[in-house]
Amino acid sequence: MAGFALPSATLLAQSILSGIFVGALYGLLGLGLSLSWGLLKQINLAHFAFAFLAAYLCYQLAALGVDPLLSLALLVPAFFVLGAALQAALARFSITPFNSLLLTFGLTGIVEAVIQSVWTADFRKLESAYSEHRFKIAGLFVPLPELITLLLAVGLSFGVWAVLRHTDFGKALRASAEDAPIARAFGINQRRDALLLAGTCSALAAVAGVCLALNFTLAPSQIYAWIGVVFAAVMLGGLGRALAPLVAGVLIGVSEAVTMAVTAPSWAPLVSFTLLIAILLLRPGRAT
Amino acid sequence: MLEVRDLHVAYGPATALWGLSFELRRGELLCIVGSNGAGKTTLINTLAGVLRARAGCIVFEGRDLTALPPHRFCAAGIAIVPEGRRLFASMSVRENLEIGSVLPDAKTRRTGSLEAVLALFPALEAKLAQPAGELSGGQQQMVAIGRALMARPRLLLLDEPSLGLSPLIVRELFAAIVRINGQGTSVLLVEQNVMMALRIAHRCYVLEEGRMVADGTPEELVERGAIRRSYLGV
Amino acid sequence: MNVARPLRSGFELGHLPRTPIAIVGVAVALAFLPALGLPAFYDSLLYLILLWIVLATSWNILSGYSGYFSFGHGAFFGTGIYTSATLMARFDWPFLWTLPVAAVSACVLGVAVGAVVFRVKGVRGEVFALLTLAMTFVLGTLVVNTPLDGGNGVSLASVPIPKIGPTPPATFYLLALAAATLTLLLAWGIAVSKLGAGLFAIHDDEDAAEVIGVPTFRYKLAALAISCALAGLAGGIHALFLNYVTVGDVFTITVPLTVLLMSVLGGMRHSAGPAIGAVVITLLLYSFTAADLAVAGKAMTGVILIAAILFMPDGILPRLQRAFARRNVATTVPIAVAQQAPRPPINSSAGERGDVLLRARGVAKSFRGVRALAGVDIEVRRGEIVGLLGPNGSGKSTFINVVSGHVEASAGSIVFEGRELTRRPAHGIARAGVARTYQIPRPFAHFNVLDNVALATMFGGGAATPAAARRDAMTWLAFTGLQDKAHAQPDELNLHQRKFLELARALAARPRLVMLDEVLCGLTPDEMDDAVALVRRIRDQGATVIFVEHVLRAVMALTDRVVVLDYGVLLAEGPAAEVMQRPEVINAYVGQPDLPAHPADADFAEQRRA
Repeated sequence: MAGFALPSATLLAQSILSGIFVGALYGLLGLGLSLSWGLLKQINLAHFAFAFLAAYLCYQLAALGVDPLLSLALLVPAFFVLGAALQAALARFSITPFNSLLLTFGLTGIVEAVIQSVWTADFRKLESAYSEHRFKIAGLFVPLPELITLLLAVGLSFGVWAVLRHTDFGKALRASAEDAPIARAFGINQRRDALLLAGTCSALAAVAGVCLALNFTLAPSQIYAWIGVVFAAVMLGGLGRALAPLVAGVLIGVSEAVTMAVTAPSWAPLVSFTLLIAILLLRPGRAT
Repeated sequence: MLEVRDLHVAYGPATALWGLSFELRRGELLCIVGSNGAGKTTLINTLAGVLRARAGCIVFEGRDLTALPPHRFCAAGIAIVPEGRRLFASMSVRENLEIGSVLPDAKTRRTGSLEAVLALFPALEAKLAQPAGELSGGQQQMVAIGRALMARPRLLLLDEPSLGLSPLIVRELFAAIVRINGQGTSVLLVEQNVMMALRIAHRCYVLEEGRMVADGTPEELVERGAIRRSYLGV
Repeated sequence: MNVARPLRSGFELGHLPRTPIAIVGVAVALAFLPALGLPAFYDSLLYLILLWIVLATSWNILSGYSGYFSFGHGAFFGTGIYTSATLMARFDWPFLWTLPVAAVSACVLGVAVGAVVFRVKGVRGEVFALLTLAMTFVLGTLVVNTPLDGGNGVSLASVPIPKIGPTPPATFYLLALAAATLTLLLAWGIAVSKLGAGLFAIHDDEDAAEVIGVPTFRYKLAALAISCALAGLAGGIHALFLNYVTVGDVFTITVPLTVLLMSVLGGMRHSAGPAIGAVVITLLLYSFTAADLAVAGKAMTGVILIAAILFMPDGILPRLQRAFARRNVATTVPIAVAQQAPRPPINSSAGERGDVLLRARGVAKSFRGVRALAGVDIEVRRGEIVGLLGPNGSGKSTFINVVSGHVEASAGSIVFEGRELTRRPAHGIARAGVARTYQIPRPFAHFNVLDNVALATMFGGGAATPAAARRDAMTWLAFTGLQDKAHAQPDELNLHQRKFLELARALAARPRLVMLDEVLCGLTPDEMDDAVALVRRIRDQGATVIFVEHVLRAVMALTDRVVVLDYGVLLAEGPAAEVMQRPEVINAYVGQPDLPAHPADADFAEQRRA
């Protein structure tokens, strides 16, 4: 039963901090989704499945003695290739954004099935050296895995932002998203750009997956638990942006954490989804 | 320099250009005039690679461009200033100009090109960081022309640059176009504002309902009354 | 190639329609299945199939027919489940009485959501999907945190199951059979009715549907209400079947995605499509689970969905329909072409030729700071053909869009036949007697030529039944010369024919004012002569015509009067030949011949001589 209880200042601060951490992961997951939706006009549900696949692979590699952060060196390029290959295969069909949602849902089912057949539906927890370390900063506990996630999320978001804003590749992507025929008329090769972008989004999913493995217990059914809240973060921030998913994710994460501290954990989803509904009703144009 | 033979362009079942043929000589400022619906934008878009011709051929500097994929037209030396400007409104003026020079050749000369564009349109210097969508119509047109120039084209295509602009601005723009042509870039200008166009063109074609109905120097055309008949029906 | 979605009316032939009889017949036959004494497991499997038939078909009524894909079906289903469960567990209601309440509660929820969401312009496609998905999670959270569920679920172990069948599984089977029969009958009934025609039109082009008079808001709401009620009913039945109800089962993304998969697979434009998809998918998933291959089954559904989206976007049923298409041609009812008697004149309202029909005063419209119309005063008299001219960007199309209700005027008033049009929605204006064509024809892609026009006669022309609508439509096709193409698809027509189709559709509502937006653009000279003659015939029928045109010889030949716009302002008006000679008009079109001297002029002259 939900009751209201005002927590102590420390508890509140600790909640806010953990909200920032989980929000950073929302943002990291949302980054790839926002880029492919805004710049490629694809709503890629399979982003979540890929993240979990990477998480499981990270878990497996750790069981073989490979440090999780080191496994990034293997997983990031592998997923980049996977994403680019998928884009190449689908580019032959002209798929509307809505159909891409349906298609990637099918893909999600397939990946989920693959995960389940290899690793079963049991919960799996990655035990790494990182999970044992905690810092105490200003009286608050900062677990190392969470900190790593925050640093990766912030670093990658800024990295993507820099690419979009300052490199020709980023500018070409933005121009193509705004007016594809004219962008082409100035020599922008959209097919090649799309492959690179799709690969990048997959690689981002892989990084998010490693963070998932470091911080959470894995189960195939968990793929769907993240969809709603990450969509909320993406739409709140606006499509095709680099820093917005992070900011929105942290906002949602903190509001959820505070809600949980003040009432009960089961009320948390209300926050993000009500926000999402409000955004969609007030500014439906955000989705295009 | 540019030779177009028997060009047929259609939108689905609707044919817009019926077997068009014309040529443009190096260094010329060629004008194609015609009333609305005549097919001027269709022609420009086809020459820039935005549209694909159904039949006929486009030969530019000896190369047959007709079957080229859209993104290769720019590398061939052709740049477009589209109807209605079609700037990337959310991107800054500077970024719009930079997009014009994403191709390798143009990229190495980017700084020089930018200086040249600002010399041509000094008013843009103060606006470089502003989103292109916030500029006035005349300034946007300047950016659109600048963007095309950044690609260092040998042929510049302009589609109704005077659209929606006041006569004073139009005159400034046309002066700039003449200067650009004077510096060696061939220009193909498509316009509804015939009077301005006739002032600056070396040669003109008249397009009506997808067909060329007259051509010659501006004086010849005015004398023959070809323009008046086409536009006003009298 | 898309198969047309005909406005089928079983009532045409004067005897009972075949499909509903078949549905009821099969249902009655299936009702005897439990009597065969099969193992209980079969009853349960069949129950599940029937349940999914109800869920998928009910979902399709809104989402498949109108194109508004809802991801909230799980929430409505869940509402039914929890309503029923709460009434049984908490208030000791008998099971059967909870069913109608479950249906009503889901329906009320749906209408509440729809009333808000459908009012917001811009909520289409992905936005509606996400909204309904978010709503699902919000509801789930609310249910879990309140006494309705409280996190523990609701147990119905002590609730007695009524003895409708020989065994409990048989009882549920029979209830589900009844629900499925009801659902299929409703789905079919809607598909062949005016509501269905409107929904399919909304699917193809909601704006055009509005303009021909379809009350889009009401129809979408009605479809949503029925869809939710049926889902709620299914929920009520399922609650007791489950015996123990939790939030995690239903308030998720799984239910909507499953019904989506079933409908996409079976075919969304047909009332029976989702049912076929439901049978196939349920059996498939079941056979995988039975063979201990549940995981592979999940992968299989993913593969099927991908294959369906890429290769069979219309679903299984249309493919089958096309295979049997040749057989159907023979059974198509030949449309009796109405007597060759002259059509009753359009101008049925009392009014003299020469009266002012339309009076626009101070009409202004700005788009984001750009003034497309800057205060225009135009009067159009009954029986006139007025040409609306002006160079590119002068505001002609904007004027038509404002009068027809496509966009709202920023200022000014428009009075038509004495009634103020300015704040009315587009479909209201269409009903008031104003019609317009589009520069680029926008036919309803999934309807054939005849039905495109029949939609207009039904929603704007007052035809009472689909059969009458078709008869009227046929006469309009004859009027525009398209009668031979009645059963063709719009994409089979050439541009000229498509424009005439637009015209026939605009005329079908018997408008008193017809606005044509560049009808002649892209036509050959012969086709243009046909079009000019047709416009004359339209006026002779009693309609008044405003037409935007650039082809000046047509303007000269047809118009009584022209109005010239420039930069959103009225520049000149009067008889065409006279107006086109005026200097300010020549200026506007061709540019100023005399400009004061400018330093750049010298440049030009020099360059030219070079």
